[in-house]
Amino acid sequence: MKKPGMSRRKFLIGSAVGGASVVASSYMNFEAWAASEKPVEDVKVTPTLCDGCGNWCAINVYTKGGRIWKAEGIPIAGINHGRVCAKGHALLHEVYNKDRVKSPLKRVGPNKFEPISWEQAYKEIGERLQTIREKYGPESFFLVQYPEGNAGLTNRFINALGSQNSFSHASTCFLPRNIGWWITTGNAKPEQDIEHTRFGLFIGRNLGAGLQLRQLSDMSKAKDRGAKFVVVDPRFSEIAAFAHQWIRIRPGADLALMLALANVIITENLYQKDFVEKYTEGFDEWAEKVKEYTPEWAEQRTDVQKDVIRKLAHDLAEAAPRAFVHRGYHGAMGTQYKNSFQLVRTIGCVNGLLGTFNQRGGMFFAPKVQLGKLDPQKHPAPTVPEGPMVDGSGDPERYPLTPVGLGLTHAIPELAIQGKLKAGFVYHNNPLRTCPNPARVIEGYRKLDLLVSFDYVLSETATLSHYILPESYYLERDDVVHTHLSYQSKQVSIRQAVVKPLYDTKPMVVILNELSQHLGIGEYFNWTLEEYNQAALAPLGVTLDRLKKEGVIDLGGKWEPGEPHFSTASGKLEFVSSILKDNNMPAMPDWEEVLVHPDPKDPHSFRLVHGKQAHLTHTRSINQKYLKEISQLNDMTKVWIHPARAIALGIKDGECMTISNAVGKGRARAMVTEGIHKDCVFLPSGYGVFSRNLRTAFGYGISYNDFLPTYFEPMLGHCMSNEIIVRVEKTVT
Amino acid sequence: MPRYGMAIDTTKCIGCHSCRVACQNQNGLDYKETFNWIKNRERGVYPSFDKEYIPLQCNHCENAPCQRVCPTGATFTSKEGVVLVNPNTCVGCKYCMEACPYKMRVVDHQLGIVEKCRFCIELVRAGGTPACVSTCPTQVRIFGDLNDPNSEISKFIAQTGALPLRPDLGTSPKIFYKRS
Amino acid sequence: MQESAWGWLIITYLFLAGAGSGAFLAAVACDLLAPDWSKALAKAGSLVSGPLVAIGTLCLVLDLEAGLWEPWRQIYLANNLSSMIAWGVIVLSIFIPIALLYAAALNEIGFIGKFANKYVRPLEIVGSLFALGTATYTGVLIAVVNGVPFWNTPLMPVLFLASAISTGLAAAMIVAAIIDVATIKTLSNFALGHVIFLSVEALVLMLLVFMSLTRSTEAAYSANLLISGLLSPYFWGLVVILGIVVPFFLSVIEYLEYGEMPKALVVGADILVLIGGMSLRALIVFSGTPPQII
Ligand SMILES: Nc1nc2c(c(=O)[nH]1)N[C@H]1C(S)=C(S)[C@@H](COP(=O)(O)OP(=O)(O)OC[C@H]3O[C@@H](n4cnc5c(=O)[nH]c(N)nc54)[C@H](O)[C@@H]3O)O[C@H]1N2
Ligand SMILES: Nc1nc2c(c(=O)[nH]1)N[C@H]1C(S)=C(S)[C@@H](COP(=O)(O)OP(=O)(O)OC[C@H]3O[C@@H](n4cnc5c(=O)[nH]c(N)nc54)[C@H](O)[C@@H]3O)O[C@H]1N2
Ligand code: SF4
Ligand code: SF4
Ligand code: SF4
Ligand code: SF4
Ligand code: SF4
Ligand SMILES: [Mo]
Repeated sequence: MKKPGMSRRKFLIGSAVGGASVVASSYMNFEAWAASEKPVEDVKVTPTLCDGCGNWCAINVYTKGGRIWKAEGIPIAGINHGRVCAKGHALLHEVYNKDRVKSPLKRVGPNKFEPISWEQAYKEIGERLQTIREKYGPESFFLVQYPEGNAGLTNRFINALGSQNSFSHASTCFLPRNIGWWITTGNAKPEQDIEHTRFGLFIGRNLGAGLQLRQLSDMSKAKDRGAKFVVVDPRFSEIAAFAHQWIRIRPGADLALMLALANVIITENLYQKDFVEKYTEGFDEWAEKVKEYTPEWAEQRTDVQKDVIRKLAHDLAEAAPRAFVHRGYHGAMGTQYKNSFQLVRTIGCVNGLLGTFNQRGGMFFAPKVQLGKLDPQKHPAPTVPEGPMVDGSGDPERYPLTPVGLGLTHAIPELAIQGKLKAGFVYHNNPLRTCPNPARVIEGYRKLDLLVSFDYVLSETATLSHYILPESYYLERDDVVHTHLSYQSKQVSIRQAVVKPLYDTKPMVVILNELSQHLGIGEYFNWTLEEYNQAALAPLGVTLDRLKKEGVIDLGGKWEPGEPHFSTASGKLEFVSSILKDNNMPAMPDWEEVLVHPDPKDPHSFRLVHGKQAHLTHTRSINQKYLKEISQLNDMTKVWIHPARAIALGIKDGECMTISNAVGKGRARAMVTEGIHKDCVFLPSGYGVFSRNLRTAFGYGISYNDFLPTYFEPMLGHCMSNEIIVRVEKTVT
Repeated sequence: MPRYGMAIDTTKCIGCHSCRVACQNQNGLDYKETFNWIKNRERGVYPSFDKEYIPLQCNHCENAPCQRVCPTGATFTSKEGVVLVNPNTCVGCKYCMEACPYKMRVVDHQLGIVEKCRFCIELVRAGGTPACVSTCPTQVRIFGDLNDPNSEISKFIAQTGALPLRPDLGTSPKIFYKRS
Repeated sequence: MQESAWGWLIITYLFLAGAGSGAFLAAVACDLLAPDWSKALAKAGSLVSGPLVAIGTLCLVLDLEAGLWEPWRQIYLANNLSSMIAWGVIVLSIFIPIALLYAAALNEIGFIGKFANKYVRPLEIVGSLFALGTATYTGVLIAVVNGVPFWNTPLMPVLFLASAISTGLAAAMIVAAIIDVATIKTLSNFALGHVIFLSVEALVLMLLVFMSLTRSTEAAYSANLLISGLLSPYFWGLVVILGIVVPFFLSVIEYLEYGEMPKALVVGADILVLIGGMSLRALIVFSGTPPQII
């Protein structure tokens, strides 16, 4: 017996007449109830874009009686091919989450907020910003965001305020990956034609959890066609379960593996000579260099047997050019290690040796859609302030290769402590939880004279902000026209409101429009989203109405294999990079040690590595009930540890471990598994919410950032988030 | 008349749980209630270590014990061979839950009845595909007509020799697994 | 996917239905076999029988969801005669009125009692059949569940029947003692009943556990849960020692030392039998393990 409180049916006791008629009718309609489509309660379908992660998959959202019901993927969408992930489905429910911010808020005490009107919020922010501008100048302003579709608007906003300090999540996510590929091939994000490949090698890229639905769908088709996939990862990742072979590498040693692959491919003459000759720069020099990096040498570092390395090189070469080494994302070659940049470079170069570029089943550069712009006569654009960012991004003396506009988000607390940053705007980002060392981040952000958050809930960062201007949830708002994820053909898509805003919230573009009037920069926002989007679509010959009806429009221009074009200085794939040379950086991919090592003599000493889970996005989705239930039901907050190491520490599966280092301390239960390298423990990265205002997830699990010191990698300045050594012990109670 | 079944290729499953939530939404289930589960199993020692994700749901048994024990007759088999629960006559006695050897039934506390995977019968009758099938990023699931030897599912089963889970339990399940 | 969908309400139902029908059988036995010195026991047994089964049935109903919120749905409960619940509903709805009538008859309650008094024998005969049915049926209910291999054995109804009789006897004896303490002495005659039925129960339980150990992996898993696993303290402590061994020996002494045992011990043995019976149901439900499917 459960309390019938939730019953959709009414609690009708002993209604004899009713009872009798139900009996009668149900005997008659025994099977009919399922067959007869019950009168569909006005179902409506709206195409839009999911905002569950950076993929922005195209979805059709169904409402039933005006309430959000379900989503289906839009089949033609290049990014998701009609698929939707667990988050995409579950985050639909977030519209109705009780934790939402329901109107602008002003913080009046620690974790104390007062609802205020938009007008008052704008006015007070304007006044405070003016005071700060007078004292410290606009270079003390910053924006930090997860830059997506609306980034054009938010960057316009911060530039209009006179600041170039626009930060992104780059330094905690992908920085070396993008710069490495850009240096090597002239394109920061090459794609791979997975569907038609014969052989794919994944270096820590875990598509099975760091999802990209199109690539997964292509992997499935390729597998049916007989393609082989090999996954290199210190732990048995989800995509390893799909792949044919798992190589359990020592964390941080992938660079050695890749150099050894290059070594075998070159010394055994397995490379694509035509390609190398025609399309690459500096081969001889690099070939000379990698001679020393034999499989024997690599075996020492990687803990991967030399025969396995040789075989891998042969497999790759045999399938080439219909093969690829995946371009990676965060794991292994995002902002993980001191040597991550060299790793990305080497991966680019090995792809070069295999001649995979612009080949069927190899790497390709996605076709780009050129959107139109607002008429500058009527709608002047602000001038972008010159010079490097306050953190040294774009500064020839400091981080010359780190682009202005990406910046080092984890430097913000330091800069605030130093008094260089005074006023910040946070958009669609949660630096308090997603940057290293929360204590330090909190200390830094506290120092700011003004912090304004645009968020839909009181995230950790929003909770610390002076003002929270709630953006309408993605199902309640229109956004700018979207293109950059069209994959193999040119596509344009749009996010639009499925339901009206439930509360006193506004779309970002409206907030910026209104706020800018109070900040004296109204002239740069003298247009509506409608006008902005129309201007964007103008060159494409697509009307806004049509786009809104179809959600995604394919413009053709599909990628076809052929001659590769590299937009590097030399116009070729650069084994030896002129830019790096000019900046006095190692011009060729070369071996570089990681920053820290676990102590081999100490049974308690481990490297802490982390990774995504498919049903969670960074720190923001564990507060969703449907998603948290998946974690709870399947016990997914556990930290992975190798059986031999666990035995040495007297830890049994499911038992509680204490994890600590100089930065932090926490507890997690152990998952004892063969599926992880002995040197490390693995912590899933979606947990550790410490905002009390996220009531579903508060206090559930821990985060790797709790243990990560504030590092700045010397070349690019990223946060090196796997350079963590922790002490693991059995929790004594 | 079609006889619906499903084939599941566990070698493609990444345990992403997309199917679970797609199904919950399709069927209006509360967050704790689900018609499908993803279990996993580890085997072996590196380098032959392996982990398998196994999606589970009602098998729509030909010879369904849940139906046999249902006192009200609420559990019945549709003309397409889909085992369904009539929400108007189920009393919520949970006898079927005990009887199902696969433990694939759940209490729907909103309706006070016991439910389970229903092969998205409304969607399917309207010409659609079950929600868990269409959302799966790696195409683990194939849904179709077991009576039609030319259907994708029949061919898949014929080619791969996919088998039901625990056929020895004698319930003749209609979900077939390819597991290696 | 849950381990056991049934909880305490169903356990209580299994127990009360067993004890109630057992009490009926005990009452009939007393009334038929030894009408002079066991009148009190017959009366007591008949008095508790109907109410116990009725309360048990109430538990069963309370465990329903839609069937509780919309009670008319219970009409459907006898729709499918291949379901043991359907049969249970039929058997119970006949047995409960008979048991109540029988109580009224033996205790001459009101005009109904007077009327029913004329039909004591037929009531006893038909009632006993339905009492046997009820007691056995609680075992069959779970024995036919092939979703739980441990339960799926013909020994289960036998075990439940044996346990139903001893718990019914115990319930009757306790109530008899409440009605008239003086009867305790004569009650000792019935300690023999405990000796017999506790022995049968112990034997069947032993068979069930040992046969399960080899019957299937899942049945073995369940059996191991009971004899050496998580549930073993409760199994050995509550079911075996307190529920069978102690009352067995107390009953033996009681029988041999006719009337010499302290009253508290006599009633105590009966209470232990009840605790053991309830624990047995609970442990059997909780140890049920589904087949390993992956
Ligand atoms: N602990 C931890 N740290 C990480 C990672 C991790 O997995 N775990 N991953 C690293 C990586 S790879 C990345 S890319 C970064 C990501 O770093 P973030 O972008 O900071 O990560 P999220 O957790 O996605 O935080 C997004 C914020 O946007 C808010 N938000 C969600 N929807 C909306 C909306 O519609 N409008 C507005 N205005 N706000 C919204 C959320 O409430 C949340 O506060 O983090 C890095 N750091
Ligand atoms: N479900 C979901 N999908 C997402 C996101 C999300 O939050 N949730 N976020 C999106 C974003 S912003 C990003 S950046 C991507 C991230 O996508 P990925 O980069 O694929 O994901 P991660 O989980 O960060 O890391 C992948 C793997 O790297 C492994 N790894 C750790 N250290 C090493 C090492 O030293 N060597 C090797 N070879 N492997 C190592 C980890 O064990 C993990 O399995 O996912 C995107 N997609
Ligand atoms: S991958 Fe999932 S969460 Fe990300 S955009 Fe696509 S459906 Fe949404
Ligand atoms: S959606 Fe597909 S891959 Fe994901 S868990 Fe379900 S069956 Fe497995
Ligand atoms: S799997 Fe279980 S619920 Fe489904 S038909 Fe078979 S016995 Fe019934
Ligand atoms: S819970 Fe419903 S479907 Fe299950 S046996 Fe009882 S009446 Fe039948
Ligand atoms: S077929 Fe439909 S009801 Fe069954 S698990 Fe899949 S989505 Fe759920
Ligand atoms: Mo990321």
